[in-house]
Amino acid sequence: MIELRVNGGVHRVDPAVGRSLAETLREDLGLTGTKVACGEGHCGACTVQLDGVPVLSCITLVHTVRAREVTTIEGLRDHPLVESFVRADALQCGFCTPGQIVSAAALVEANPEPSRDEIRHAMAGNLCRCGAYPKIEEAVLTWRG
Amino acid sequence: MSAGRFVELRDVVPRGIAGSATITSIGAGTTLAELEVDPQIPQVLREACAAAASPQLRAMGTIGGNLLQATRCWYWRLGYPCFLHGGDRCHARTGQQREHAIFGNERCASAHPSDPAAALLALGAILRTDRRELPLADLYRLPTEDDRDLTTLSTGELILELEVPAPRASVYLKAMDRRKWAFPLVGVGAARFVDGVRLGLSGVAPIPWALGGPEELDRATPLPGTAYKVEIARALVRRAVDAV
Repeated sequence: MIELRVNGGVHRVDPAVGRSLAETLREDLGLTGTKVACGEGHCGACTVQLDGVPVLSCITLVHTVRAREVTTIEGLRDHPLVESFVRADALQCGFCTPGQIVSAAALVEANPEPSRDEIRHAMAGNLCRCGAYPKIEEAVLTWRG
Repeated sequence: MSAGRFVELRDVVPRGIAGSATITSIGAGTTLAELEVDPQIPQVLREACAAAASPQLRAMGTIGGNLLQATRCWYWRLGYPCFLHGGDRCHARTGQQREHAIFGNERCASAHPSDPAAALLALGAILRTDRRELPLADLYRLPTEDDRDLTTLSTGELILELEVPAPRASVYLKAMDRRKWAFPLVGVGAARFVDGVRLGLSGVAPIPWALGGPEELDRATPLPGTAYKVEIARALVRRAVDAV
């Protein structure tokens, strides 16, 4: 049995050795906002924050998380970025959007006024197959409204 | 993922950066994200780390692990019974090549994808394992008939630390299919020391490749599908040497 700190709450779970953080979040805790697309650490759809740092939950073994605080898209539901993504129309299919917002939230936390280059560097690990990048960039630039 | 047992190395591999004016020590458990922003780290290594992988992977991936990255060769990754997997031929040599080697490719044409390894070769880094100390270049070997391994690590041997001398100037240049989150087609690390400029290349051989000088590019052995890499390497080496 391990204790997992997610979005400010504590959950006791008993995952099999080798289970990923993404599987635990989605299947054991019902936090299905975290998406799994490639499942091999490439696309960024499964991005969550560990102590504020974006990581890939599909290739993070849940047993390695230990006491670190996990923040998923559900923990960011009131973040201004959610509104700015809507305002900027920064998605088409929306499957990458949770991961995009999780990465962007960490960026603006560390750097509230990122330049376009800084956004491109910090968000490079979140692929969008619809190609909404210009509007995602716009949403992050205008996140404070 | 499933296995009988997973061993967590995070607590036994040193993590962190410590330095003097002439030498920087890097724990093998230090992440690429930490190296990318640390002012004690020479520019060539910071740039190579920043150009590698994605932010999420750089936050998770360690420099020790990065040195042991497996090749992107599609035949090897798809499990073809190729030379590297113990078979009798390299499928890339006669099949589809593009991201493959232009040096050291007689038996296996795979290309080593590590940007930081090329930077560390240019810096002449020294590696410490739990058993020995060695120049980084000696960590790698080309596969032979009797031994298909690309490294000289023994089973269970653990990379613990790197020692990196401070160059007078250094730079990392990288050609890739897109500007971010791509493996190197060719990466060139250059570092100037008192006795001259040292060059380390990624994406050009089955192992990170130390280039004695720009003229060694004349002795490249490209395949039809990788000939373009020689021209890219010439341009990047020229620019890198000019920059330092």
